[in-house]
Amino acid sequence: MERRVALKSMAVAMGAMAGLPAWASGWSKGTLPKGRLLSADQSKNLAAIVEAIIPKTDTPGAGELGVGDFVQKMVKDCYDSKAQASLASGVSNVDEQSIQRFGKSFVDAGKDQKLQILQDIDKGSDASQKAFLGMVKNLTIQGYMTSEYVMTNITHYEMIPGRYHGCVPVKKG
Amino acid sequence: MANFNIDSKKARTYDAIVIGSGISGGWSAKELTEKGLKTLVLERGRDVQHIKDYPTTNMMPWEFAHRERLPKEITDANPIASRCYNFKESSAHFFAKDNEHPYVQEKPFDWIRGYQVGGKSLLWARQTQRWSKYDFEGPARDKFAVEWPIGYDDIAPWYSHVEKFAGITGNKDGIDTLPDGEFLAPHDLNCVEKYFKEQVGKQYKDRHIIIGRAAHITDPQQIHLDQGRAKCQHRVICERGCPFGGYFSSNSSTIPWAMKTGNLTMRPHSVVHSIIYDDKKQKATGVRVIDANTKQMMEFYADIIFVNAAALNSNLVLLNSTSSRFPNGLGNDSGVLGKYVAFHNYRASVSGEYEGFLDSTTDGKRPNSGYIPRFRNVYKQETDFLRGYAAGFGANRNTYSDRNGLGESLKSNLHETKYGNWSVGSHMMGETIPKESNYVALDKDLKDPFGIAQLKISVGYDDNDEKMIKDYVEQVSEMFTNAGFKNVKSHDGNRNPGNDIHEMGGVRMGKDPKTSMLNQWNQLHACKNVFVTDGACMTSTSTQNPSLTYMALSARAVDYAVKQMKAKNL
Repeated sequence: MERRVALKSMAVAMGAMAGLPAWASGWSKGTLPKGRLLSADQSKNLAAIVEAIIPKTDTPGAGELGVGDFVQKMVKDCYDSKAQASLASGVSNVDEQSIQRFGKSFVDAGKDQKLQILQDIDKGSDASQKAFLGMVKNLTIQGYMTSEYVMTNITHYEMIPGRYHGCVPVKKG
Repeated sequence: MANFNIDSKKARTYDAIVIGSGISGGWSAKELTEKGLKTLVLERGRDVQHIKDYPTTNMMPWEFAHRERLPKEITDANPIASRCYNFKESSAHFFAKDNEHPYVQEKPFDWIRGYQVGGKSLLWARQTQRWSKYDFEGPARDKFAVEWPIGYDDIAPWYSHVEKFAGITGNKDGIDTLPDGEFLAPHDLNCVEKYFKEQVGKQYKDRHIIIGRAAHITDPQQIHLDQGRAKCQHRVICERGCPFGGYFSSNSSTIPWAMKTGNLTMRPHSVVHSIIYDDKKQKATGVRVIDANTKQMMEFYADIIFVNAAALNSNLVLLNSTSSRFPNGLGNDSGVLGKYVAFHNYRASVSGEYEGFLDSTTDGKRPNSGYIPRFRNVYKQETDFLRGYAAGFGANRNTYSDRNGLGESLKSNLHETKYGNWSVGSHMMGETIPKESNYVALDKDLKDPFGIAQLKISVGYDDNDEKMIKDYVEQVSEMFTNAGFKNVKSHDGNRNPGNDIHEMGGVRMGKDPKTSMLNQWNQLHACKNVFVTDGACMTSTSTQNPSLTYMALSARAVDYAVKQMKAKNL
């Protein structure tokens, strides 16, 4: 019964869509604006950090999805100068640690080496580095989960559900 | 007039002028133009045409650079607008910015405004409950404010009139404190909301849980299709403007309808300075306007004038309309203009969890929620505070994912959605008492960017509000606990008055010209061809969301005004 209602609602939604002007359904895919807080090198480091937080598996990681630019944009536009300073110094600090421990820049470090550095910060006692990582991790999760790729292919965002059912069985698994 | 010679006076003369194009102004314009009057609508903001001027309406979440958060530069520059729940990346363009129209806060008051064609009708929360006879009888029975000059029976046919056109979803609940209307198919309560409804029904004689009545087209009728509107698609991003016309706004409904009559002239960028009063004719003859682009002052003329600038701006316009006959503001013989401002108190909320129905969740989205009609002091005064409160009620199934870890483990955790308990929540909508000490006035020194005196707002909570908050928290917490909800907590958001966006009064209706500004037809007692039908006219506030009542009062007042004009009484 509910499935029939859902299909009916969907048909109505599609019918209504057909009546809209072309621009209304043909939205264009936005590119992330290029506002920069960090230098080019630091930006590459940040992209590597977000990729280490959410890496490529059988689906793309946060770095590939441009989440580094998102994190930078958010901190630059929406956060205070203290948070902006924390982002810049945190990124540099991660890079320095990589050079000290592995003799190479964070960008060039191996996947496990990158993860090791971040996990050590997470478990370590440096409050400012932990705060940096916490901020970047939260923004990375936000940027990743609301990326076009994830919302389209994994979580299947519905712009126009056309329905509300107040009681349906929880999907298993 | 002297510095405006582009058009002749004749070209600037209309049958009627409406000041403002929001919910009440749109209705005034629709009714006036349908009755054949050449009508000028003055709007201080820019034009916003349905669909064409909704720039974010079809944007996907990832297309917002800051995912709905606003840049710090904007929130820092707009501390007042930023406190509105709906001021965000997708809708900020429909809010007036703080520096556009500064005002004086004698007490903290968040004046939330939408300056564009359609006004706040693009942004409203769309709840549309009728008032009951108990609401209109309140001031006389409980001896506060002044007696309403109308009762439920006077306005009931006009509620029907506006409901049919606007499209209101709701259930016929048969509750005398909340009259049924002309409803389209209701939205669903979900299983936990239905469970709570049953529990409350068993345990309390006069308390009800119902699905909200809201201005959404759930079941389009011919009159809605004729407006070019379609069924609500449950997108729940209404504040961006709806391309389907699924919810009621001036932009999707009344204004294009008025435009189709050929009798409407819409003039955006027109900041109203004052209403012109002619001492010899003993009536208003027109409206002085400052063109927002050129800063040039000009005048427009009409036989009847509808003031629909939104409550506090309607006060401002009348206060600024001085003449030798009315040195203290148009129609202000009584001295009550600007006084007895009231609002709705939304400060407190109660939340909880329910551990039942764990095998169920909801599907889709609902642009509406449950509603608890007022149950306090309805039939008689029974508490140590006056009046009462309605409340919103809703339940949602919580989902979450584990955010611990880094790397691949974090990634797989994020994609594993887990179900928690149902969360339940309620917020109060309390009636506040109109008092002389809650007022607006013109500041003697400070001017706005158009050289018009700034509005000084002095509106605050009182002891009655504090007692009512306490009672709401106690009663709803008890109802939640009795229903078996766990982890019941209350919260006082300490929001400022004004943040409810339900400010009302200052130009109140009443039977006695010595204590009120408007008669039973929303007509100034002392200047018969000027009508005020927005929130400024409200004698008391009730607990219901006010917009539907503004619509009904506007349509009713236009009907009367046009009849009086044709009988040469104006």
